Amino acid sequence: MSERQKVLLKRLVACLLGGVVLAIMVGPQEGTLTDLGVSFHQAVVGPRVFLFLGIGLIIFLLITYWPLVKPFIRRPGVLPLGSGTLVVVGAQTIMNWYDPLINAKGSGKFNAVRSAVDASSGLATTTPWFFDWLAWTLVAVGLIACGTAVIMRIRALGYLTTVVGVAGAVLAYWAHSDVVSAGGGPDHSLGVYADIIGFLVLAAAGLIAARSKAEVADPKGALQRIADYRPGLPLATIGLIFGLLAFTSDCWFGPTTLNDNFAQSHSDFAGQGLSQLASQYLSWLGWALFAVAALLALAATWRADRILAWLCIAVSIAGVVITFITIHSMTNVGAQVAVQNGGNWKNLGVGGYMACLVFAVFAAAAVNALSTAKVARAGDRATNVGGVTLPVTKAVNQIRTSSNAKALFIVVGAIALFYPPMLPVTWQNVLVVQIGVYVLLAVGLNVVVGWAGLLDLGYIAFYEIGAYTTAYLVGALPRKPPHWLHMTPLLTIPFAILACLIAGVLLGAPTLRLRGDYLAIVTLGFGEIIQIVALNNPGNFTGGAQGPVINHPRIHLFGIHVTWGSDNLPYWYLLLVMLVVVIVLFYRLEGSRLGRAWSAIREDEVAAQASGVNTARVKLLAFAIGASTSALAGTFFATQVGYFDPSLFTLQASILIVAYVVFGGMGSLQGAMAGAAVLTWVPQFLKDQVPSEDRQMWVGALVLAMMIFRPAGLLPAKRRKAELEGFEGLEGADSAETVNVVPRGGAL
Amino acid sequence: MSHSVDWFHQIPQNLVIGLEQGSLYSLVALGYTLVYGVLQLINFAHSEVFMAGSFGSYLVVNGIVGKRHLSGAMVPLTLLAGLISGAMVGAGVAWLLEKVAYRTLRRSGAPKLAFLISAIGASLFLSNLAGKLFNHLSNNPFPNYFNVNFIVLRVGTARVSLIVLIIVATSIVMMIFLDWMVNRTKLGRGIRAVAEDAPTAALMGIDIDKTISRTFLIGGALAGVAGFMFGTAFGSSYLMGFTPGVKAFAAAVLGGIGNIRGAMIGGLILGQAEVQIAALPFVGAKWNDVISFVVLVLILLIRPTGILGERLGRAA
Repeated sequence: MSERQKVLLKRLVACLLGGVVLAIMVGPQEGTLTDLGVSFHQAVVGPRVFLFLGIGLIIFLLITYWPLVKPFIRRPGVLPLGSGTLVVVGAQTIMNWYDPLINAKGSGKFNAVRSAVDASSGLATTTPWFFDWLAWTLVAVGLIACGTAVIMRIRALGYLTTVVGVAGAVLAYWAHSDVVSAGGGPDHSLGVYADIIGFLVLAAAGLIAARSKAEVADPKGALQRIADYRPGLPLATIGLIFGLLAFTSDCWFGPTTLNDNFAQSHSDFAGQGLSQLASQYLSWLGWALFAVAALLALAATWRADRILAWLCIAVSIAGVVITFITIHSMTNVGAQVAVQNGGNWKNLGVGGYMACLVFAVFAAAAVNALSTAKVARAGDRATNVGGVTLPVTKAVNQIRTSSNAKALFIVVGAIALFYPPMLPVTWQNVLVVQIGVYVLLAVGLNVVVGWAGLLDLGYIAFYEIGAYTTAYLVGALPRKPPHWLHMTPLLTIPFAILACLIAGVLLGAPTLRLRGDYLAIVTLGFGEIIQIVALNNPGNFTGGAQGPVINHPRIHLFGIHVTWGSDNLPYWYLLLVMLVVVIVLFYRLEGSRLGRAWSAIREDEVAAQASGVNTARVKLLAFAIGASTSALAGTFFATQVGYFDPSLFTLQASILIVAYVVFGGMGSLQGAMAGAAVLTWVPQFLKDQVPSEDRQMWVGALVLAMMIFRPAGLLPAKRRKAELEGFEGLEGADSAETVNVVPRGGAL
Repeated sequence: MSHSVDWFHQIPQNLVIGLEQGSLYSLVALGYTLVYGVLQLINFAHSEVFMAGSFGSYLVVNGIVGKRHLSGAMVPLTLLAGLISGAMVGAGVAWLLEKVAYRTLRRSGAPKLAFLISAIGASLFLSNLAGKLFNHLSNNPFPNYFNVNFIVLRVGTARVSLIVLIIVATSIVMMIFLDWMVNRTKLGRGIRAVAEDAPTAALMGIDIDKTISRTFLIGGALAGVAGFMFGTAFGSSYLMGFTPGVKAFAAAVLGGIGNIRGAMIGGLILGQAEVQIAALPFVGAKWNDVISFVVLVLILLIRPTGILGERLGRAA
């Protein structure tokens, strides 16, 4: 056998084996005590395995014949075609389409909605068609037509794809609104939006395939051109589309079976004692504000006019405020309106919050427009040099980047503020207890692992210390604090931070002279010790496995009274405040002397020491700062859940947080946050997709795949990325690195 | 007072139990240390190799025994089959693990922590895949084809049961074999050379990829055997790897990670320390999991690179 054949054979075996593993992973079979591998039989023996072997074979062929396939893959239109198809298929297989409150537990997937549609009457004729066969047919036709158009260069087929894609999007929207208006209740699902976006991307793919003559696609450049054509215009358009959705079709008021859109809620609230402003808003002011803001945003971005932009920002702010007042008023009055079910009137549906979001998007577009005006002036100065047109100068680029950052900041902030209220209650809980808390923890651990390069496998211990300090100080433990130290939950934050600082220093001082892997095992041991000490300690200080019960927090300050109860949303805003404070502090810290000292010892401790960095002190500071962040998370967690016990603070949790940080991209703040958010979201998302015991398996596979295909993580820090891919952008640095025989020692 | 007398009388028996625990820790710790020697990496998924070996041998032993009652020569033969299947499955999983979770990352020159996380991902994946394939119960006892608690030896007050004898004897044989292999054979020389200086070893004509693969095979086989014996004694489950894995890792660090004899000694010391200290009247079994770490921290504070110091190349 020749060398080539050997390689091919190995690859084929690997691909087929991968197919078999996938066959075992996908599927409802679960082993039992006596089966001795029967579930393996179910998974692998039988016709279904050929599907997975086929997938393996396709991957094998793709890898083997990559040089032949590559020119076609790189043609314009293929990337949008692939992603559009994937999005549509995903929307119609794994996403929820409609989750009426009546049946909160049931899944509202495409198929489930289809059977509901088939069973019910009084829908438009196209609705059952769409759910039965039309949707899938449209995807298939789009895929085949556009694929042929790209490969054979047939223009007509490209246009056909466009028609099919637009038709799909419109039909999806119609069919969905039909179902929702028949079913009633607010709709939190995203399936239909994903479907519409997927179909529109498909349509765009067709258009690109028909129009473009290029041999190699340049998606980045195309997007850049769109963004540069009129900065802010894409944002304004997005705002316009979502605003129209919010004001025409989205639910504004929806206790259980009711599903009032904007116009309906006006008539429902008429004469119910709504405040003057709110009832004006519902009758005309809302539309007017939206229309004015939209027009101003479009005009300001189109003409790059500063005055219009400032006007747009002002109107948008007014829009957010007035919309918010209206929502508040509706909430207060809602109990009387929806008398048929007083318990659930609090849920207002998504329309109002969507409107707030839309106003914020307009403001962001206007901010972008402001920068264009600035660029125009800077550009004037630049181009006038000797009558020669100069390329975009560095200053102009800087203005653009910073204005894009500002716009992004506004949009992200608006999403953080207004998106959570649109979520169903269970997801709000996930957002607070899982995603939010772990994001905070990951941000803290990022200091230790990502920046200082110290592998801490016992990080959860500090979290635990923070939670228990709070429990002690509010008097929830068997051992009560002295009278003068007894306090309310939020006041304990500084004390919890102090306790964790002390614990961090106590652990750090003797152990930080240990090198990388030894430190890992010692911190791991520390985590174990703290957990077991909390579980069984002399004098029953902590209450052992029982765990403390803690009151929800309250603020009475300068006449402001805020009480947090069992509702999740207020906790989200509390957490948001904590997160913003921590992130701003850490952002400042990263570039500071201390932050640079951390990266120095991470890269080469000896060299850092030689350059005058007090390594012991700097490492200790990293430990202490990381620990105090988790104290914050611990206090928040303790007061939010109200009850916890030591079994939550396992070694696995510590290891998972390290995985979050590295998955997201070591050493970058956004990365750590994204990693924690994604990896805590995925198991919750998988709840509807796979048997619940299998969720960790998929998370493991995801982490493994990420490290194999993108070892720098989701959003890598610039430094790290440069290390991995060579310093191409930097002058004078070696570009390509030689392949490592073994991973480099020393730095993590 | 009577408690402490009890404890004193229990010392010989606890020595035996500690030896049993310690031998298992040593076998698993050898896998950590071998991989650390050649790659300078903590192979976090090694505990799942141990688990895989246990389940693999569980299948084979169950296949042989079935519903029958074994007697005569079939019992040692079944034991042997279990040992071999455990070793083979362990070696196979470790080999695959290296191919999937390590080699790809080595090719892309990933940072060190990426290896750790890919191993953690692989560990999560493997243990839960085993849970899906077999079951999510906390214990699957092996078939009862011989009396594991049969007392073979009485030394003073200490009683040595059959399973303890098997575990200790097998471990000793395997460790002697490993020591011979690393110090005397060509493969062992290759492993030591890669551990000492990989690029230079490559220049000397050693195929680094193959050597690393084989290191994983050896470590996996040892862990698989340990998995079989652990399963025979205590039963297996999809989560069984985690705690012994962490303890064995601690043992490897204790002896000086990367050092083969260090891992053996570290495992034995940790096993003894755990059992003896937990038996102390004022400590108790609930502190069992902490003891190994306290011992580890104390020893690391005195000797920051473990009892025998680091490096596979130098010390072994």
